Amino acid sequence: MNTSSITALPDIELKSPGAGLITLDPVRTALLRGLDDLLTGLAAQLSAPEVVGPPLLSVDGLARLDFFRNFPHLGVSAGRFGPDVLDGLASGGSPRDLPLRPTGHVLPSATCYGLLLSLEGEDVGEDGLRLSAVGRCFRNETHYDGLRRLWGFHMREVLYLGTKDGATEHQARGGEFVQEVAGRLGLALTRAAADDPFYDNGGSRARLMALDPVKYEYSAPDGTAIASVNRHRNFFGERLGIRAGSHGSAYSSCVAFGVERWVHAMILAHGTAERALERLRTATGS
Amino acid sequence: MDQVSAWLHEKNPGLDGPIGVDEDLIEARLIDSMDFLEFIDLLEEISGSSIDLQEVTIDDFRTLARVKERFLDPAGHAEVPAG
Repeated sequence: MNTSSITALPDIELKSPGAGLITLDPVRTALLRGLDDLLTGLAAQLSAPEVVGPPLLSVDGLARLDFFRNFPHLGVSAGRFGPDVLDGLASGGSPRDLPLRPTGHVLPSATCYGLLLSLEGEDVGEDGLRLSAVGRCFRNETHYDGLRRLWGFHMREVLYLGTKDGATEHQARGGEFVQEVAGRLGLALTRAAADDPFYDNGGSRARLMALDPVKYEYSAPDGTAIASVNRHRNFFGERLGIRAGSHGSAYSSCVAFGVERWVHAMILAHGTAERALERLRTATGS
Repeated sequence: MDQVSAWLHEKNPGLDGPIGVDEDLIEARLIDSMDFLEFIDLLEEISGSSIDLQEVTIDDFRTLARVKERFLDPAGHAEVPAG
Protein backbone atom coordinates (compact mmCIF):
# COMPACT_ATOMS: atom_id res chain seq x y z
CA MET A 1 0.00 0.00 0.00
CA ASN A 2 1.32 3.44 -0.86
CA THR A 3 0.48 6.01 1.77
CA SER A 4 3.14 8.49 0.68
CA SER A 5 0.57 10.65 -1.08
CA ILE A 6 -1.30 11.40 2.12
CA THR A 7 -2.20 15.02 2.36
CA ALA A 8 -3.93 16.88 5.11
CA LEU A 9 -7.05 18.78 4.26
CA PRO A 10 -6.17 22.39 5.07
CA ASP A 11 -8.96 24.28 6.78
CA ILE A 12 -11.48 21.64 5.77
CA GLU A 13 -13.27 19.48 8.26
CA LEU A 14 -15.03 16.34 7.06
CA LYS A 15 -18.20 16.41 9.11
CA SER A 16 -20.21 13.36 10.08
CA PRO A 17 -23.17 13.24 7.67
CA GLY A 18 -25.38 11.65 10.36
CA ALA A 19 -25.52 9.37 13.35
CA GLY A 20 -23.34 6.33 12.81
CA LEU A 21 -21.93 7.78 9.59
CA ILE A 22 -18.37 9.02 9.22
CA THR A 23 -16.22 10.10 6.29
CA LEU A 24 -12.69 8.97 7.02
CA ASP A 25 -10.04 11.62 6.49
CA PRO A 26 -6.91 10.77 4.44
CA VAL A 27 -4.88 9.62 7.46
CA ARG A 28 -7.64 7.38 8.82
CA THR A 29 -8.28 6.10 5.33
CA ALA A 30 -4.61 5.16 5.02
CA LEU A 31 -4.88 3.44 8.40
CA LEU A 32 -7.98 1.53 7.29
CA ARG A 33 -6.39 0.38 4.04
CA GLY A 34 -3.05 -0.46 5.64
CA LEU A 35 -4.65 -2.38 8.48
CA ASP A 36 -6.85 -4.32 6.09
CA ASP A 37 -3.75 -5.21 4.05
CA LEU A 38 -2.06 -6.40 7.21
CA LEU A 39 -5.08 -8.41 8.34
CA THR A 40 -5.33 -9.98 4.91
CA GLY A 41 -2.05 -11.63 5.90
CA LEU A 42 -4.13 -14.27 7.67
CA ALA A 43 -5.70 -15.19 4.35
CA ALA A 44 -2.24 -15.45 2.81
CA GLN A 45 -0.98 -17.61 5.68
CA LEU A 46 -3.94 -19.95 5.27
CA SER A 47 -3.97 -19.85 1.46
CA ALA A 48 -7.48 -18.43 1.44
CA PRO A 49 -8.31 -16.93 -1.96
CA GLU A 50 -9.77 -13.44 -1.98
CA VAL A 51 -13.35 -13.07 -3.18
CA VAL A 52 -15.87 -10.25 -3.24
CA GLY A 53 -19.18 -11.02 -1.58
CA PRO A 54 -22.58 -9.76 -2.73
CA PRO A 55 -23.73 -6.31 -1.57
CA LEU A 56 -27.22 -7.53 -0.64
CA LEU A 57 -28.56 -10.72 0.92
CA SER A 58 -31.91 -12.37 0.33
CA VAL A 59 -34.16 -12.40 3.37
CA ASP A 60 -35.29 -15.90 2.42
CA GLY A 61 -31.72 -17.13 2.50
CA LEU A 62 -31.03 -15.42 5.82
CA ALA A 63 -34.27 -16.73 7.32
CA ARG A 64 -33.05 -20.26 6.62
CA LEU A 65 -29.95 -19.42 8.66
CA ASP A 66 -32.09 -18.28 11.62
CA PHE A 67 -30.75 -14.76 11.11
CA PHE A 68 -34.00 -13.06 12.04
CA ARG A 69 -34.55 -15.35 15.01
CA ASN A 70 -31.15 -14.44 16.37
CA PHE A 71 -30.88 -10.81 15.30
CA PRO A 72 -34.36 -9.47 14.57
CA HIS A 73 -33.24 -5.90 15.19
CA LEU A 74 -30.05 -5.85 13.16
CA GLY A 75 -30.98 -5.99 9.50
CA VAL A 76 -30.89 -2.80 7.44
CA SER A 77 -33.50 -3.42 4.79
CA ALA A 78 -33.21 -2.54 1.12
CA GLY A 79 -36.49 -0.97 -0.01
CA ARG A 80 -37.58 0.90 -3.08
CA PHE A 81 -40.25 3.41 -3.92
CA GLY A 82 -43.30 2.02 -5.70
CA PRO A 83 -44.45 3.35 -9.09
CA ASP A 84 -47.40 5.13 -7.43
CA VAL A 85 -45.15 7.65 -5.69
CA LEU A 86 -42.57 8.25 -8.42
CA ASP A 87 -44.39 11.17 -10.04
CA GLY A 88 -44.66 12.94 -6.70
CA LEU A 89 -40.97 12.43 -6.05
CA ALA A 90 -40.01 13.57 -9.52
CA SER A 91 -42.05 16.71 -8.94
CA GLY A 92 -39.95 17.53 -5.92
CA GLY A 93 -42.03 15.82 -3.22
CA SER A 94 -40.24 14.76 -0.04
CA PRO A 95 -39.20 11.10 0.13
CA ARG A 96 -39.02 11.21 3.94
CA ASP A 97 -42.35 9.71 4.91
CA LEU A 98 -43.17 7.75 1.78
CA PRO A 99 -43.67 4.02 2.23
CA LEU A 100 -41.01 1.74 0.80
CA ARG A 101 -41.74 -1.51 -0.95
CA PRO A 102 -39.67 -4.45 0.26
CA THR A 103 -37.20 -5.94 -2.19
CA GLY A 104 -36.72 -9.15 -0.25
CA HIS A 105 -33.15 -8.14 0.51
CA VAL A 106 -31.16 -6.62 3.34
CA LEU A 107 -27.69 -5.18 3.52
CA PRO A 108 -25.16 -7.65 4.92
CA SER A 109 -24.56 -7.47 8.67
CA ALA A 110 -21.52 -9.74 8.37
CA THR A 111 -19.30 -10.62 5.45
CA CYS A 112 -19.57 -14.40 5.73
CA TYR A 113 -23.32 -14.68 5.09
CA GLY A 114 -23.03 -13.84 1.40
CA LEU A 115 -20.16 -16.29 0.97
CA LEU A 116 -22.04 -19.06 2.76
CA LEU A 117 -25.22 -18.51 0.73
CA SER A 118 -23.12 -18.67 -2.44
CA LEU A 119 -21.88 -22.12 -1.46
CA GLU A 120 -25.31 -23.73 -1.07
CA GLY A 121 -25.32 -27.35 -2.20
CA GLU A 122 -21.56 -27.43 -2.84
CA ASP A 123 -19.08 -30.09 -1.77
CA VAL A 124 -15.94 -28.40 -0.42
CA GLY A 125 -14.07 -31.71 -0.48
CA GLU A 126 -12.08 -33.66 2.09
CA ASP A 127 -9.61 -30.81 2.59
CA GLY A 128 -12.22 -28.12 3.00
CA LEU A 129 -12.29 -24.60 1.63
CA ARG A 130 -11.14 -21.20 2.83
CA LEU A 131 -12.28 -17.86 1.47
CA SER A 132 -11.30 -14.34 2.43
CA ALA A 133 -13.30 -11.20 1.80
CA VAL A 134 -13.81 -7.70 3.06
CA GLY A 135 -17.19 -6.08 2.75
CA ARG A 136 -19.15 -3.18 4.06
CA CYS A 137 -21.54 -4.42 6.71
CA PHE A 138 -24.53 -2.64 8.18
CA ARG A 139 -26.20 -2.98 11.55
CA ASN A 140 -29.02 -1.06 13.15
CA GLU A 141 -27.80 -0.07 16.60
CA THR A 142 -29.52 1.70 19.48
CA HIS A 143 -26.67 4.19 19.62
CA TYR A 144 -23.63 5.07 17.55
CA ASP A 145 -20.22 6.04 18.80
CA GLY A 146 -17.44 7.26 16.52
CA LEU A 147 -15.44 4.49 14.90
CA ARG A 148 -16.44 2.11 17.72
CA ARG A 149 -20.05 1.73 16.65
CA LEU A 150 -21.00 2.67 13.11
CA TRP A 151 -24.11 2.08 11.04
CA GLY A 152 -21.91 0.75 8.26
CA PHE A 153 -18.35 -0.50 8.59
CA HIS A 154 -15.81 -2.77 6.92
CA MET A 155 -15.59 -6.36 8.08
CA ARG A 156 -12.73 -8.56 6.89
CA GLU A 157 -13.37 -12.26 7.31
CA VAL A 158 -11.50 -15.46 6.63
CA LEU A 159 -14.03 -18.27 6.41
CA TYR A 160 -13.38 -22.01 6.59
CA LEU A 161 -15.69 -24.87 5.67
CA GLY A 162 -14.63 -28.48 6.04
CA THR A 163 -14.13 -30.92 8.85
CA LYS A 164 -14.85 -30.58 12.56
CA ASP A 165 -11.14 -30.60 13.42
CA GLY A 166 -10.36 -28.25 10.56
CA ALA A 167 -12.90 -25.72 11.85
CA THR A 168 -11.37 -25.87 15.33
CA GLU A 169 -7.86 -25.45 13.94
CA HIS A 170 -8.94 -22.50 11.79
CA GLN A 171 -10.36 -20.79 14.87
CA ALA A 172 -7.18 -21.45 16.82
CA ARG A 173 -4.88 -20.18 14.07
CA GLY A 174 -7.05 -17.12 13.66
CA GLY A 175 -6.71 -16.35 17.36
CA GLU A 176 -2.92 -16.72 17.21
CA PHE A 177 -2.80 -14.39 14.21
CA VAL A 178 -4.89 -11.73 15.98
CA GLN A 179 -2.51 -11.67 18.96
CA GLU A 180 0.58 -11.73 16.76
CA VAL A 181 -0.60 -8.79 14.64
CA ALA A 182 -1.75 -6.90 17.74
CA GLY A 183 1.72 -7.35 19.23
CA ARG A 184 3.37 -5.94 16.11
CA LEU A 185 1.04 -2.94 16.22
CA GLY A 186 1.50 -2.24 19.92
CA LEU A 187 -2.09 -3.18 20.78
CA ALA A 188 -2.88 -4.90 24.06
CA LEU A 189 -5.94 -7.06 23.50
CA THR A 190 -7.92 -9.12 25.97
CA ARG A 191 -9.59 -12.34 24.87
CA ALA A 192 -12.96 -13.37 26.27
CA ALA A 193 -15.72 -15.79 25.43
CA ALA A 194 -18.70 -13.96 24.00
CA ASP A 195 -22.20 -14.63 22.91
CA ASP A 196 -24.52 -12.41 21.02
CA PRO A 197 -27.82 -14.06 20.25
CA PHE A 198 -30.64 -11.62 20.69
CA TYR A 199 -33.12 -14.42 21.24
CA ASP A 200 -32.27 -17.23 23.65
CA ASN A 201 -34.66 -20.00 24.57
CA GLY A 202 -34.86 -19.35 28.32
CA GLY A 203 -31.10 -18.99 28.56
CA SER A 204 -30.48 -22.39 26.97
CA ARG A 205 -27.96 -21.12 24.47
CA ALA A 206 -26.13 -19.02 27.04
CA ARG A 207 -25.79 -22.07 29.33
CA LEU A 208 -24.32 -24.19 26.57
CA MET A 209 -22.09 -21.30 25.56
CA ALA A 210 -20.76 -21.06 29.13
CA LEU A 211 -19.80 -24.73 29.01
CA ASP A 212 -18.53 -24.72 25.45
CA PRO A 213 -17.79 -21.29 24.00
CA VAL A 214 -18.01 -21.03 20.22
CA LYS A 215 -17.09 -17.35 19.99
CA TYR A 216 -14.17 -15.44 21.40
CA GLU A 217 -13.70 -11.71 21.07
CA TYR A 218 -10.48 -9.71 21.24
CA SER A 219 -10.98 -6.30 22.78
CA ALA A 220 -9.02 -3.07 23.10
CA PRO A 221 -8.45 -1.62 26.60
CA ASP A 222 -11.63 0.47 26.33
CA GLY A 223 -13.71 -2.67 25.76
CA THR A 224 -14.07 -2.34 21.98
CA ALA A 225 -14.12 -5.79 20.40
CA ILE A 226 -11.99 -5.51 17.26
CA ALA A 227 -11.79 -9.16 16.21
CA SER A 228 -13.58 -12.40 16.85
CA VAL A 229 -13.11 -16.07 16.12
CA ASN A 230 -16.29 -18.07 15.68
CA ARG A 231 -17.23 -21.73 15.33
CA HIS A 232 -20.56 -22.64 13.82
CA ARG A 233 -20.32 -26.42 14.30
CA ASN A 234 -22.15 -27.94 11.30
CA PHE A 235 -25.04 -25.45 11.38
CA PHE A 236 -24.39 -23.72 8.05
CA GLY A 237 -23.32 -26.96 6.40
CA GLU A 238 -26.60 -28.61 7.37
CA ARG A 239 -28.86 -25.68 6.60
CA LEU A 240 -27.28 -24.99 3.22
CA GLY A 241 -26.50 -28.56 2.20
CA ILE A 242 -22.76 -27.86 2.06
CA ARG A 243 -20.77 -31.10 2.32
CA ALA A 244 -17.14 -31.87 3.07
CA GLY A 245 -16.58 -35.01 0.99
CA SER A 246 -17.05 -38.18 3.00
CA HIS A 247 -17.36 -36.20 6.25
CA GLY A 248 -20.96 -35.24 5.52
CA SER A 249 -22.26 -31.79 6.45
CA ALA A 250 -19.45 -29.26 6.50
CA TYR A 251 -18.35 -27.70 9.75
CA SER A 252 -17.40 -24.06 9.55
CA SER A 253 -15.60 -21.33 11.44
CA CYS A 254 -14.53 -17.79 10.68
CA VAL A 255 -12.16 -15.10 11.85
CA ALA A 256 -13.60 -11.60 11.64
CA PHE A 257 -12.02 -8.17 11.92
CA GLY A 258 -13.91 -4.90 12.30
CA VAL A 259 -11.49 -2.73 10.35
CA GLU A 260 -12.70 0.68 11.56
CA ARG A 261 -12.42 -0.67 15.10
CA TRP A 262 -8.79 -1.55 14.43
CA VAL A 263 -8.32 2.07 13.35
CA HIS A 264 -9.98 3.14 16.61
CA ALA A 265 -7.78 0.79 18.66
CA MET A 266 -4.62 2.10 16.94
CA ILE A 267 -5.53 5.73 17.68
CA LEU A 268 -6.42 4.76 21.25
CA ALA A 269 -3.06 3.04 21.71
CA HIS A 270 -0.84 5.59 19.99
CA GLY A 271 -2.54 8.89 20.79
CA THR A 272 -3.19 10.33 17.33
CA ALA A 273 -4.10 9.02 13.91
CA GLU A 274 -0.76 10.26 12.55
CA ARG A 275 1.24 8.41 15.19
CA ALA A 276 -0.90 5.33 14.66
CA LEU A 277 -0.09 5.45 10.94
CA GLU A 278 3.62 5.79 11.69
CA ARG A 279 3.41 2.73 13.89
CA LEU A 280 1.55 0.80 11.20
CA ARG A 281 4.18 1.72 8.62
CA THR A 282 6.96 0.66 10.95
CA ALA A 283 5.21 -2.65 11.60
CA THR A 284 4.68 -3.35 7.92
CA GLY A 285 7.94 -1.88 6.65
CA SER A 286 6.01 0.27 4.18
CA MET B 1 -31.16 -44.49 27.76
CA ASP B 2 -34.16 -45.31 25.63
CA GLN B 3 -35.77 -42.05 26.73
CA VAL B 4 -32.64 -40.11 25.82
CA SER B 5 -32.48 -41.75 22.39
CA ALA B 6 -36.18 -41.12 21.85
CA TRP B 7 -35.73 -37.43 22.76
CA LEU B 8 -32.79 -37.07 20.36
CA HIS B 9 -34.76 -38.67 17.54
CA GLU B 10 -37.73 -36.44 18.29
CA LYS B 11 -35.50 -33.38 18.06
CA ASN B 12 -33.78 -34.66 14.92
CA PRO B 13 -36.52 -36.12 12.73
CA GLY B 14 -34.13 -36.46 9.81
CA LEU B 15 -31.95 -38.89 11.74
CA ASP B 16 -31.73 -42.39 10.30
CA GLY B 17 -31.14 -45.36 12.60
CA PRO B 18 -29.61 -45.47 16.05
CA ILE B 19 -27.13 -42.92 17.41
CA GLY B 20 -23.68 -44.34 18.11
CA VAL B 21 -22.70 -44.30 21.80
CA ASP B 22 -19.53 -42.37 20.93
CA GLU B 23 -21.06 -39.91 18.48
CA ASP B 24 -20.40 -36.28 19.40
CA LEU B 25 -23.89 -35.00 20.18
CA ILE B 26 -22.77 -31.42 20.77
CA GLU B 27 -20.58 -30.84 17.72
CA ALA B 28 -23.01 -32.61 15.40
CA ARG B 29 -25.75 -30.45 16.97
CA LEU B 30 -27.98 -33.42 17.77
CA ILE B 31 -28.45 -31.42 20.96
CA ASP B 32 -29.11 -27.96 19.58
CA SER B 33 -28.08 -24.98 21.70
CA MET B 34 -31.73 -23.94 21.96
CA ASP B 35 -32.65 -27.37 23.38
CA PHE B 36 -29.72 -27.77 25.76
CA LEU B 37 -31.66 -26.88 28.92
CA GLU B 38 -34.49 -29.16 27.87
CA PHE B 39 -31.93 -31.95 27.60
CA ILE B 40 -30.69 -31.18 31.12
CA ASP B 41 -34.31 -31.28 32.35
CA LEU B 42 -34.75 -34.65 30.69
CA LEU B 43 -31.66 -36.08 32.39
CA GLU B 44 -32.81 -34.70 35.75
CA GLU B 45 -36.24 -36.22 35.25
CA ILE B 46 -34.84 -39.65 34.36
CA SER B 47 -32.24 -39.71 37.12
CA GLY B 48 -34.40 -38.04 39.75
CA SER B 49 -31.63 -35.65 40.79
CA SER B 50 -30.50 -32.15 39.93
CA ILE B 51 -27.58 -31.31 37.69
CA ASP B 52 -25.48 -28.35 38.80
CA LEU B 53 -23.98 -26.79 35.70
CA GLN B 54 -21.11 -25.50 37.83
CA GLU B 55 -20.10 -29.10 38.50
CA VAL B 56 -20.07 -30.44 34.96
CA THR B 57 -18.11 -29.93 31.75
CA ILE B 58 -19.31 -30.01 28.19
CA ASP B 59 -17.66 -33.42 27.79
CA ASP B 60 -20.19 -34.87 30.25
CA PHE B 61 -22.86 -34.28 27.59
CA ARG B 62 -20.81 -35.04 24.51
CA THR B 63 -21.67 -38.71 23.90
CA LEU B 64 -24.39 -41.14 24.90
CA ALA B 65 -21.75 -43.28 26.59
CA ARG B 66 -20.61 -40.40 28.78
CA VAL B 67 -24.16 -39.20 29.52
CA LYS B 68 -25.04 -42.70 30.72
CA GLU B 69 -21.91 -43.01 32.84
CA ARG B 70 -22.11 -39.52 34.34
CA PHE B 71 -25.82 -39.07 34.95
CA LEU B 72 -27.74 -42.29 34.56
CA ASP B 73 -25.60 -45.07 36.04
CA PRO B 74 -26.09 -45.39 39.79
CA ALA B 75 -22.33 -45.18 40.51
CA GLY B 76 -21.67 -42.05 38.47
CA HIS B 77 -25.03 -40.70 39.43
CA ALA B 78 -24.08 -40.48 43.11
CA GLU B 79 -21.27 -38.07 42.21
CA VAL B 80 -23.65 -35.50 40.85
CA PRO B 81 -24.23 -32.92 43.57
CA ALA B 82 -27.80 -31.93 44.11
CA GLY B 83 -28.07 -28.34 42.92
